[in-house]
Amino acid sequence: MEEKVPRSNIIETEIPLGTVHPAALEPYRVRLFVEDEIVQEAEITIGVNHRGIERIMEGLPVEKANSLTEKICGICSNSHIWNSCRTAEMGLGIEIPERALYIRVIMGELERLHSHFLYLAHGCETVAHETFSMRVFYLREIVMELLAMIGGNRVQYGCSVLGGVRPRCDLDEAKLQRLKEDMDKLEAGLTDFAQRFMADSILISRVTGVGALPAKQAIRLAVTGPSLRATGVARDLRTTMFEYDDFDFNVITQPDGDVKSNLLMRALESFESIKIIRQAIANIPEGKVVNRDWEMFDTDINESYIEVPRGTLYHSYALESGRVRHCIIRTPSMANIGAMQYACIGDHVTDAQLCIVQCDPCFTCTDRAIEIIRR
Amino acid sequence: MFETTVINSIIALIITVVVCFLISTLLPGIERKYVHARIQQRIGPPVTSPGIMAPIKFLFKENIEPSSPVPGLYKALPVICFFVVLSILIAITPYAFAIPALSSLVAIVGLLKVEEICYVLMGSLSKSIMSVRMPFPDRVKGAAHLNTTRSFIEDISAKRSLRMITYGSFPLYLALFAPVTAARSIFLNDIVSYQQAHGPFLFTVAGGIAAIVFFIGYMIILNEYPFSIIKAKCDVIEGPYMEYASKYRSIVFITRGFLMFTLGVLFSVLFIGIPPTVFSPTILLNIVVVLIFVLMMGIFSAFTPVFTNRQLLPTILASTLLGILAIVLGLL
Repeated sequence: MEEKVPRSNIIETEIPLGTVHPAALEPYRVRLFVEDEIVQEAEITIGVNHRGIERIMEGLPVEKANSLTEKICGICSNSHIWNSCRTAEMGLGIEIPERALYIRVIMGELERLHSHFLYLAHGCETVAHETFSMRVFYLREIVMELLAMIGGNRVQYGCSVLGGVRPRCDLDEAKLQRLKEDMDKLEAGLTDFAQRFMADSILISRVTGVGALPAKQAIRLAVTGPSLRATGVARDLRTTMFEYDDFDFNVITQPDGDVKSNLLMRALESFESIKIIRQAIANIPEGKVVNRDWEMFDTDINESYIEVPRGTLYHSYALESGRVRHCIIRTPSMANIGAMQYACIGDHVTDAQLCIVQCDPCFTCTDRAIEIIRR
Repeated sequence: MFETTVINSIIALIITVVVCFLISTLLPGIERKYVHARIQQRIGPPVTSPGIMAPIKFLFKENIEPSSPVPGLYKALPVICFFVVLSILIAITPYAFAIPALSSLVAIVGLLKVEEICYVLMGSLSKSIMSVRMPFPDRVKGAAHLNTTRSFIEDISAKRSLRMITYGSFPLYLALFAPVTAARSIFLNDIVSYQQAHGPFLFTVAGGIAAIVFFIGYMIILNEYPFSIIKAKCDVIEGPYMEYASKYRSIVFITRGFLMFTLGVLFSVLFIGIPPTVFSPTILLNIVVVLIFVLMMGIFSAFTPVFTNRQLLPTILASTLLGILAIVLGLL
């Protein structure tokens, strides 16, 4: 695919949107530079929802800091607490029980399912196809109920703790049975949705070729996660994570990097998540879910990368007297902002929000502290 | 004798318009509750909510003064739209047939054009906080393109409305003139008389094609998905209606339901030959036609995304060609 270039070097008209806009469910500002309603360039600015979580985490006991990371995102809350615990566990060399690893994987994949379903619903809503949007939300509801069953809440589950998972998140036979049954329901519902989606020629014509991002450009912009895989690059951090060693799954890619590829990629990746959860249900080992037998000591900066629903999530901090020091968190949307800006170029103003949505933004979580280096 | 007839006609006209207006307030609720919500497998709002309760609620809300260069005109536009729709309804009742200047297709097309022009004015007079007026430091050091002309999102809406006037509503007007080719008259009285003598125009080949074109035009003029580019939520949000609050928004809501009813009745006059009057049971047929239109529009809009130019232009072109075909067939 050829790179997109603006039709003109002279930008005459600017249409700013946001930071409050109904189609953008997040607070961000986008300046669209247009020529006859065709976007020539886009500039996204965030920063209106900075909460300073890293700063608050500084000096907190590591257990409390871990709990706080869950508040970063309402969609990837489990991913944040998982990665935060993982960061400390890697630094302290804590051995995690096998059963806890399986439960973490189940939670991670359930979260991926609900995030991908939210993406599909949001994508359909942005093109104003409310019926498809509603249908995906019904599917998502099954996942939300499963998350509530395991974690006790629909958004903040508090599943991971240092050394494993909370005992209340352990899965007994009844819970495993329900998980298994609901995976069948989800698979049937998702198959039906995917078939209807592909058969809807109007919707397909509306999303095909819109917001195209070539693979070369995606790599250059350091795009991560499903948005990268939708351009044809098979890069998934789960293939390198030790938690996924026991699981057999495919890294899904799509060729075009446009909205259609992104939507299909998420739908197909959801099938892989269902597959992983089924394997976890079938092979979950017996035993304890948390290892309390570890000692706290001071560590240098520990880093952990995991694959979360929207891409690569990075957490790092050092430990000093059991407290967090020099905490840095980088969410996937930070890396994908460049792709969002690029995707808008050459498309109609009406499609601009769709081009941004196709990169699955989560700007509220991305509003992190930045260090300005003056040279 | 003549005076009595005129007074009786005026009373009958008022009763007809009031009854039609009351029925029209239920139409947005029927569309949302029994079509959209049913298709989307949800409960939906109470049927009286979108067309009756919401306008009443807005009547008692505090008004927010619009940020418009001509606020008086901006606030008057919904009222103008309402009276335009009212005039169209009056024009298609049998009581207005005695006034040829009003009950002709030229007058109806002219009134519909006024309605469309109101959207252009609304869009160009609205300067909401959603874009340029949002207090955000766009033009700072390091920002891209510091010397551009900044455009409100309602400006895009106004441009699109203008485009829709130019070619978007063309199919509707072609469909309106299709019955003229059969009746050989632009006066509604003649069109109705022709159909009473020869049967409904709808059941001819030309009439069937024109009815399809009329339906597409009906959705376009009502700014319903997939043709709602002038108020697409994904960019221009409410577009021309963005800054209407309280009683002005209430009028916007009421006018929409009223326009849905009026266009449905217009179809039954032009294509079936039944003008609306509450003193004849044929008004039930008018209502059935209106409901069919609302149900069909609800189904289409529930299953289609908003169109951009890529889909809109071919659709309008195809509808226009169909409209021309209907007229040619009508002339043969």
